[in-house]
Amino acid sequence: MIPGRFLRWVFPFSLLLLAGLAVASLAVGDMVLSPARIWHGLLRHDEIAATILWQIRLPRLIVAVLVGAALSASGLVMQAYFRNSLASPGLLGVSSGGAAGAVVAIACGIASLSLWMVPLAAIGGAFVATLSVVALARRGASTERLLLAGIALNALLGAVTSYVLSTQTAIYGRNTQILFWLLGGLDDRTWEHALMASPIVLAAAFVWPLGRPMDLLSLGANEAQSLGVDVRSLRRRLLVHSTVLTAIATAAAGTVGFVGLIVPHILRLVVGPEHRRLMPLSLVGGAAFVLVCDLICRTSGDVRLGIVTAVLGAPFFLWLLRRQA
Amino acid sequence: MKQPQSSPFPGDGLAPEARGKIAAFPQHALSLRGATVAGRLADVTLDLPAGALVGLVGPNGAGKSTLLQVAAGLLPAPGAVRWGGRDLDTVPALERGRCAAWVPQEARFEFGFTVRSVVAQGRFAHGDDERGVDAALARFDLALLAQRPVNRLSGGERQRVLLARALATAAPLQLWDEPLAPLDPRHVLEVLALARELVRDGSTVLMSLHDLRVASLLDLVIVLHDGRLRASGRPAEVLTPELFAEVFGVRARLVPGLSLELP
Repeated sequence: MIPGRFLRWVFPFSLLLLAGLAVASLAVGDMVLSPARIWHGLLRHDEIAATILWQIRLPRLIVAVLVGAALSASGLVMQAYFRNSLASPGLLGVSSGGAAGAVVAIACGIASLSLWMVPLAAIGGAFVATLSVVALARRGASTERLLLAGIALNALLGAVTSYVLSTQTAIYGRNTQILFWLLGGLDDRTWEHALMASPIVLAAAFVWPLGRPMDLLSLGANEAQSLGVDVRSLRRRLLVHSTVLTAIATAAAGTVGFVGLIVPHILRLVVGPEHRRLMPLSLVGGAAFVLVCDLICRTSGDVRLGIVTAVLGAPFFLWLLRRQA
Repeated sequence: MKQPQSSPFPGDGLAPEARGKIAAFPQHALSLRGATVAGRLADVTLDLPAGALVGLVGPNGAGKSTLLQVAAGLLPAPGAVRWGGRDLDTVPALERGRCAAWVPQEARFEFGFTVRSVVAQGRFAHGDDERGVDAALARFDLALLAQRPVNRLSGGERQRVLLARALATAAPLQLWDEPLAPLDPRHVLEVLALARELVRDGSTVLMSLHDLRVASLLDLVIVLHDGRLRASGRPAEVLTPELFAEVFGVRARLVPGLSLELP
């Protein structure tokens, strides 16, 4: 049972915060729009505002929200799965796997066949990473083992990406496109990218109700099973959905690190470790976090999103590591 | 160590209540048929009656934890385990949480769930109805620690949390892996008294332990050696000087010693 206070206050407040950030995200840019103009623009009463919003800012906003929610939820799920609060898509190499898959798809030229080729390739690459980590680190693995497995995978998958890059130097356009994945960003996101990211909504709907069994799993697989959780099926679902979430986010916006680490951690400090609260909040919180980072990007002369999240996230990660020691 | 006064013990054999239960319910609370786990457990066959307090003893590495995990359905042993006459393979996951409770030897808690919320997890298979959670907390002196994060508890406190969670499940088959090891003397007696109560209400408690003096006070004893069932039965029949020498490599002697009981 989720306490009424959560449903009545905390969750609505987080949605309100997200809405506020969304408005800010629509307002800020080369041309600052007032809330009134945003309103008229969305209703297409204001020609110029309508063009800016519908062509540029709205798709970017939607991609940012979906990517943030996906990465954060994916991190939360991985932390419960591995019973380790330092597990996250970036550190375990799942993001790199998604990027490598996407890059290979672009390099082979199959990316132009269909909108869904890049996400599918990203999902394939991400699964290679996830399954390798599971095989290497086992469940409930120590932080050292988990991080070392992540380092190995990040290096290997990074090498795949680098190899593809080095063979594609002749084709300038393709190389720029590939570099995009390595840096992670929301620039020039179109409705096509928003559509590409839309399955995130579906995957999020699948993990949403798994909060309660995740509580039990996060304290031990055997314990959870003895208490009545179908651990095998739960684990399979968690693994599939967290991988798909990360892969699609990567396909839509490149490698954006640390979201899945920072957001669940901060939320755990605020509302405690119960996943029935963390699950919805991490979706909203992840979206809000990426919106904030994107606002920083845009107001600081178009720094890449992946760089902002890394600058914020890396020190946070080191602080966590120190605290855990 | 002495059994609490409520105990139907002394000495040999099943509690009278338990004998009645066996007659009334011919189904065994737990049956193993040739339970085998490669390299850890070999061909263990045994039946535990309902309403028995059973000790599982054996040297380190004898397979006690493995046997408990097989009995709890945590290690695959197709067709080898029956709960109350029912093949474990036919019991759905959620229902298992109502049939048997398993307490691990030690727990590592990564996340700071409160003591109360961990104990309340015992009600997962009952639709999280919270019934009996506060009673279980009180029973293990955890009421004052209820809001404390579990990852900031001592080993003995953690063990009590896990036992309270097992109690909250209200499962008729309780499988406890060395529950007494990290506890202080008073809580050892409390746990034994509780086990006695559960057994009197018809539950079956199977606990592994190293203290053979405690084992000698239980209804039944199972002795494992190198993954095999070495002996089982009433303590007076099983725990003989020959067995002590052969299995444990110690010489047993009956002497007047320190006796502890609850006030």
